[in-house]
Amino acid sequence: MRRFKYLSGGFKAAAVATVAALVGIAGFGHAQAADKTVKVGITLPLTGADAEDATKIKNGAMMAIEESNASNLIPGYKLEVVIYDSGTATAGQYDPAQAATNTKKLVSDNAVVANIGPQMSGEGKAMSPILSEANLATITPSSTNPDITNPAMAAQFRPKGKAVYFRTVTTDAFQGPNMANYVKDKLGVKTVYVLDDSGAYGVGIADSFQKQAAKIGIKVLGRDQLNPKDADYTTILTKIKAANPDMLYFGGVAQAGVKLAKQAYDIIPNVKKAGGDGVKGASFLKGVGFPAVEGWYCTDASPELLTDPKVQEFVKRFTAKYGVGPDNYSVTAYDGALVIIDAIKRVIAAKKEVTRENVRDAIQSTKLMTLQGEVSFDANGDIVSKIVSVYQYKRNPAKPVDDEAGNSVYLGVAPESPQT
Amino acid sequence: MTFYLGFLRRYSLVIVVAIAAILLMGFGFLPEDFWQILPQQVINGVSLGAMYALLALGFTMVYGIIELINFAHFNVFMLGSFIALWVFQAMGMESQNVVLYGLPLVGALLAALLVTMFLTGALGMAIERVALRPLRGISGTAPMITTIGLSYIIYNLVLLGFGADTKNYANPLPPTKWEIPPALLFGDQAEIRLRELLLWGVSLVLMAGLHYFVRRTKLGKAMQATAQDQEAARMMGVDVDKVVQTAFFLGSALAGAAGMVFGLYYNYTSFIIGYSAGLKAFTAAVLGGIGNIPGAMLGGVLIGLIQSVGGSIIDVRWTDVIIFSILVIVLVFRPVGLLGRAAPTKS
Repeated sequence: MRRFKYLSGGFKAAAVATVAALVGIAGFGHAQAADKTVKVGITLPLTGADAEDATKIKNGAMMAIEESNASNLIPGYKLEVVIYDSGTATAGQYDPAQAATNTKKLVSDNAVVANIGPQMSGEGKAMSPILSEANLATITPSSTNPDITNPAMAAQFRPKGKAVYFRTVTTDAFQGPNMANYVKDKLGVKTVYVLDDSGAYGVGIADSFQKQAAKIGIKVLGRDQLNPKDADYTTILTKIKAANPDMLYFGGVAQAGVKLAKQAYDIIPNVKKAGGDGVKGASFLKGVGFPAVEGWYCTDASPELLTDPKVQEFVKRFTAKYGVGPDNYSVTAYDGALVIIDAIKRVIAAKKEVTRENVRDAIQSTKLMTLQGEVSFDANGDIVSKIVSVYQYKRNPAKPVDDEAGNSVYLGVAPESPQT
Repeated sequence: MTFYLGFLRRYSLVIVVAIAAILLMGFGFLPEDFWQILPQQVINGVSLGAMYALLALGFTMVYGIIELINFAHFNVFMLGSFIALWVFQAMGMESQNVVLYGLPLVGALLAALLVTMFLTGALGMAIERVALRPLRGISGTAPMITTIGLSYIIYNLVLLGFGADTKNYANPLPPTKWEIPPALLFGDQAEIRLRELLLWGVSLVLMAGLHYFVRRTKLGKAMQATAQDQEAARMMGVDVDKVVQTAFFLGSALAGAAGMVFGLYYNYTSFIIGYSAGLKAFTAAVLGGIGNIPGAMLGGVLIGLIQSVGGSIIDVRWTDVIIFSILVIVLVFRPVGLLGRAAPTKS
């Protein structure tokens, strides 16, 4: 009986509220109408070997969305974030199958109009065809494998034709080859041994590095592949020691990279070591630790942003909010979210309905000033700017040992073609 | 089911040689630098093999006595590396830079080893008592599936408790290494590091201890008797439950020791390490003849050597293919494994 009474009380209250709301709308017109909600997905490997970097990306995106909601950047609309984790216990890192499952969930929710992610190209390859079927755009702040946006592979990755995979970083079509140019020009590397971690990103960037290296006259002494779940890389490192290259180039992410770097420090201490953006970041730095990580070269497929004067204010806000400093890819994630917010605004301004198709079209025609400069995309979804930045890990005793930005130095931009 | 067979059967050796020959023919020529780096690859391989052997012993002992493949073993090993790390941290070796020498080093290692072995051994006993004894005597796959379930429970508890990132291990070993001059070898100079010696030392001592225990002590003899015929042993007054508990304790303690040396050797641990090491160790136990203790040691070292020497002949990406092909070939010709003896049919 008591419950019944309570319920009917609730109904009464609801009725009163509804009447009040109706009166309110009638009385004040549209001004006081409740905000509409649109959803934006975030899919990243938030657990596993790359969790730390993924979290920094998530925080970058979240910050833009929260700031937009707080300052009412899209009048009449609130953004709601849906977060999915694509890391699984079986994989121990990102899991393409989980990324695909998450994407299906996003697609099935009609309120989701855009997505931010993934972190890894292996996830992206699984997600892109599903996104394409739904015309749901995603903006990746860090995945760099060029296949996904390659028009020659459109049948596989965007069967419906329109670009859905947008990037606020450039691709490994530049990251690998430009680094090859850099190591030849600036580091005087003449011979190299190339490894990858058998993931989509790792194989792709190692291939593109190797191809350019061979083209500009760096001798490739060998190429092999690591199983990221294996613990022991002493066999391959012993072979590399015997081959005695100037440099070891590793295409891959933290899970294999951490073990490789630890064992390489013991076995081939005098060989230069380099990798792509997969070995740049706190996951790799903390996993390997000093002194083994000292001297490793790495790249980001974006301009150097953290020391950019225009970004300082962001760095401060980010650090104050999350207690740790951002990565370059926190900035590209922030930029990605800004692009989505801007696209939704333009859809509304054009008096169109906020659907995923309209938001996708608006993202395609983006011309937006962001933290990294002006962002616009080509017909395939790739960012127009193609800058690859080179870094090296160097212990800075003034900084905490796990501070990635504090313990690496920016060396410059890797050139698109060799200077010598 | 037999524990001991003091010699390698002649034709098992022939098979191994034949496989090696087939491999060499199949993959064409040896790479130029094969002989130069062989000594170093043998050192790498023996290190790997010693670790696999320690793990394989646990599989083989339990199988020898109750004919159960204990898949929880994978993650008892993994947990062992975490327990040892915890002990090192409790002793103040939080960071990479605490390096010990001399007596403190030996003391710290010994303390960590004993605590780890005791705790993982106790965990093994608990697993047997709580989850497997009630299923004893039930034929079919139920007990084995139970061990898979337990394995996943440990795995996920560690994942939830410690997180998924790769953990830096305590690093108390000084980075000492010795160079073996080329004159002593037929190849280039090879290096041997302190951590390799530690790994070999721990494995040798533990395996010798196990050997002594099984051969010379009363409980060890009771284990052999139970392995041969449980019913007959029971009738002779052997406390079979105690024997099974002992097998679980010893096997799990060895896995814990393997977990600790794994952490010190590779300088990391993660919730995921049980899978690839455990699978290879299990392969080693089958290769050597599951149920046979020297077989597990031999199998472990062989798998380690195949992994490193095989990897230096062809690309390392093919290593797993080689290992498992060899396993298949051996089992086709010798289904009981290299040192195994066909089990007498039990009533």
